[in-house]
Amino acid sequence: MTTQGPGPIAVAKTMEGLTAPRGAAGRRRRGSLVWWLVFLAGVLYFFVPLYATLLFSLRAQPAFAAYSNVLNDAQFAGSLLYSAIIAVLTIITSIAIIVPTAYWVRLRLPRLRPIVEFVTLLPFVIPPVILVFGLIRTYSGDPFPLTYSDLGSDALLVSAYVVLSFPYMYRAVDSGLRAIDVRTLTEAAQSMGAGWFTILWRVIFPNLRVSLLSGAFLTFAIVIGEFTIATFLARPAFGPYLSLLGQNKAYEPAAVSLISFGLTWIAMGMIQLIGRAAPGRVQVGGAR
Amino acid sequence: MTEATSVVNAREAPTAPPVRRRGAWAVLGVVPFFAFSALFLILPIGFLVIGSFQDSAANLTLQNYADLSEPFIVEAYGNSIEISLVTAVVGGIFGFLLAYAVILGGLPGFLRTALMTFSGVASNFAGIPLALAFIFTLGNVGLVTKFLLDALGINIASAGFNLYTKIGLEIVYLYFQFPLMVLIVAPALDGLKRDWREASENLGASPAQYWRHVALPILTPTLLGAVILLFGNSFGAQATAYQLTGGTINLVTLVISSQMRGDVLHNPGLGYALAMGMVVIMAISIIAYALLQRRSERWLR
Amino acid sequence: MTSRSKLARGLSMVASLALVLAACGGGSSDSATNLTTIALPHDWCNYGAMLDGFVKKTGIKLNELNPNGGSGDEIEAIKANKTNKGPQAPDVIDVGISFGPQAKTDGLLMNYKVPTWDTIDPSVKDPDGAWYGDYYGVLSFEVNTAVVKTIPKDWLDLLKPDYKNSVALAGDPTASNQAIQSVYAAALANGGSLDNAQPGLDFFKKLKDAGNFVPVVAKQGLVASGETPIVITWSYLALADKDALKGNPAIEVVIPTSGRFAGMYAQAISAYAPHPDAAKKYMDYLYSDEGQLNWLNGYCYPTRYNDLVKRNVVPADLKAKLPDVTGAVFPTAAQLDTAKKLVTGSWKSVVGVDVVKK
Repeated sequence: MTTQGPGPIAVAKTMEGLTAPRGAAGRRRRGSLVWWLVFLAGVLYFFVPLYATLLFSLRAQPAFAAYSNVLNDAQFAGSLLYSAIIAVLTIITSIAIIVPTAYWVRLRLPRLRPIVEFVTLLPFVIPPVILVFGLIRTYSGDPFPLTYSDLGSDALLVSAYVVLSFPYMYRAVDSGLRAIDVRTLTEAAQSMGAGWFTILWRVIFPNLRVSLLSGAFLTFAIVIGEFTIATFLARPAFGPYLSLLGQNKAYEPAAVSLISFGLTWIAMGMIQLIGRAAPGRVQVGGAR
Repeated sequence: MTEATSVVNAREAPTAPPVRRRGAWAVLGVVPFFAFSALFLILPIGFLVIGSFQDSAANLTLQNYADLSEPFIVEAYGNSIEISLVTAVVGGIFGFLLAYAVILGGLPGFLRTALMTFSGVASNFAGIPLALAFIFTLGNVGLVTKFLLDALGINIASAGFNLYTKIGLEIVYLYFQFPLMVLIVAPALDGLKRDWREASENLGASPAQYWRHVALPILTPTLLGAVILLFGNSFGAQATAYQLTGGTINLVTLVISSQMRGDVLHNPGLGYALAMGMVVIMAISIIAYALLQRRSERWLR
Repeated sequence: MTSRSKLARGLSMVASLALVLAACGGGSSDSATNLTTIALPHDWCNYGAMLDGFVKKTGIKLNELNPNGGSGDEIEAIKANKTNKGPQAPDVIDVGISFGPQAKTDGLLMNYKVPTWDTIDPSVKDPDGAWYGDYYGVLSFEVNTAVVKTIPKDWLDLLKPDYKNSVALAGDPTASNQAIQSVYAAALANGGSLDNAQPGLDFFKKLKDAGNFVPVVAKQGLVASGETPIVITWSYLALADKDALKGNPAIEVVIPTSGRFAGMYAQAISAYAPHPDAAKKYMDYLYSDEGQLNWLNGYCYPTRYNDLVKRNVVPADLKAKLPDVTGAVFPTAAQLDTAKKLVTGSWKSVVGVDVVKK
């Protein structure tokens, strides 16, 4: 990759480098103080507003009243469970659609890339209220009156969320594919007689674990917190519930946003654990 | 076929399917995506497109698009683009640094997991809770404001700082831009093979040269793509801006929502036309990104 | 093969999840025993008790949509769900009264006259029964007395230097009914009238120049935290807030001495209502004595108030809790429209943040 030809000084340094100790100790001496500072700056920026919210929420009387009001509410667990299930369904569907697509675009159809990227970025710029009204208008009559039944409306909700997840999932999978040598992996697997399904399922997916996790994180957080589409489709999701609870009270909204933040973070942790437990990377031929 | 494959073929007995059949498979592979998008994205947006050509009585008109040239709306687009650019670039830079810090900066491994999972949550922490969190922190009676005043004697208000301005909004938006950048860039940083760094060191390259000639060219497509994503993310934000500024800053998303929702029904057709304007801006950014990316991808095979 | 069986397992997991969802999902849309409402927060005019009372009396199952929606959202919901008989389509709406005539012209409303129709003042109802006024309140100042020591008594007091960084609106004056009418109301105390809302805009410009205006959307939390210790909001909302906060912090609700501006809302049944019979029963309940008293308990003056007082139906302690709103003026739909256009069109240019500098 580099274009420098070694001169005499470089050769000397190479000899030096080859005999010098490498490994963790060698790497750490390279300015890790700077990185600690960067990380600390990030921590400050992210946690101070959360801390301020916490302090405010504790001004209720008695101090934890806001939290007990929220947690004791009957609909809290129900709506959270509902949204979690919807999130899992969304993640599975989104991965199932995006990974093959990104794979094909990268491998065989590079000309389609701008179109695919444009389509995946559309959900960003379409205000959710327009999307949901469009969905209702399309699916509230023949031939697919999805809105008439609860299961149909749930399906509509998952579909809308899958669409919302496209920008993140595609971006993450695309970066992941870029980092692995897709062409060689594919050709090596094919030369061993693997069909397309096996290639995707046993070669590509395991190598994309980090990307898929990152896409899954984002999708989960989006679905749990989403408000507009769930509201207009009249679904008993967590987002509308939170907003309902917090609207006309002083301390509960602060408590609610922290509880929701905490719960979502825990869920992320669980997704991470599940991802880690999945089968490790599969090497095929001289891939790495 | 490449060298590697032919070598492999010589070793292994089973044959791969002939090249010709792969062409048909390729298109089939992307059909689910396009079908899904058509059903649940394009079709509903059809109403958006049609609606932008209608007035409140559903007659066909181009007036909505003509209205887009009103100075008020031009200013809204200007503000939205400016704020989105600033938060995309700043978010991109510091997000990249944060991701680098935990992945390649020598920090303990558990911090990486913590940052990734936290970023998953924080990237979606927006709207009223985010705005309120920052008001509690940097508002007139905010935690940090008071701390700076009481403990350090610094009065940020008299120094000219005000949370309820464009700069304040940008500071708030970064809360979800940084984590988004971290999440997008992490897989790419992971892929930056360590061997390359060590090889370049062995060949006498300084870290700066490594970055300039090896790492950045490899990362550029991902970085560019991430910045576009951050731009779009910021452009589409509405609830946070509404709560924080009460509408005193003119933004496209706020104008759209005031045309289509809330208590004032001006002209939904104008709202649709504004949204179409956003789609066009996004399309332009993607074209720019595709052109830039094509140039940078010459580095990779 | 292992991968195939894993996939099969995965798919059956998904299928069972979907079944769980179907079971968890809400009730069915049986048209005789369901009602879909929209944009009714339970703390608004005591809607919580109103809806509970209705359900107890009739046994009809409620499906509540979008509690934080505005009047515009309700109208849009009717329009978007014209062909939809599912749970997303509202049966009944409660909107700012200026929305009534336009919605009728657009064919969105169903005519219906409740049994107590004749006791409703003709100036607040549509002669054909498309829409009918339900309750009103006046714009007031909700003041956090822990932070604000000198309580303002009138609009012009708000300009005093005592109230630096203190005064906020409850919404965006280009989008929120309440905020628009707050600006309109300020006109009354600043040399304007119901036909001239411009002085209201000038008032807020003065407020901003004095450094007293906080351009944030005021929420209860922000009043309590002291960020927006004075909020201009409907009297019934301020009084409900005061009760909810229970002194933590202490709130005082001030009805301004001049410039008492009344805002009236209206009920209507959607022309595309999936459950028209349930909707009619709902209206009958709202306009019954019991219903009207529910609103009164929420500090809202119901439209049949005078009739209730005449027949001595209002308990004395309830009457004592209500704020004194004598001299309140009611703008007509036409006046509201004109003012709305002026405020939403000029707010940003007159009061908006200086976009060049920060």
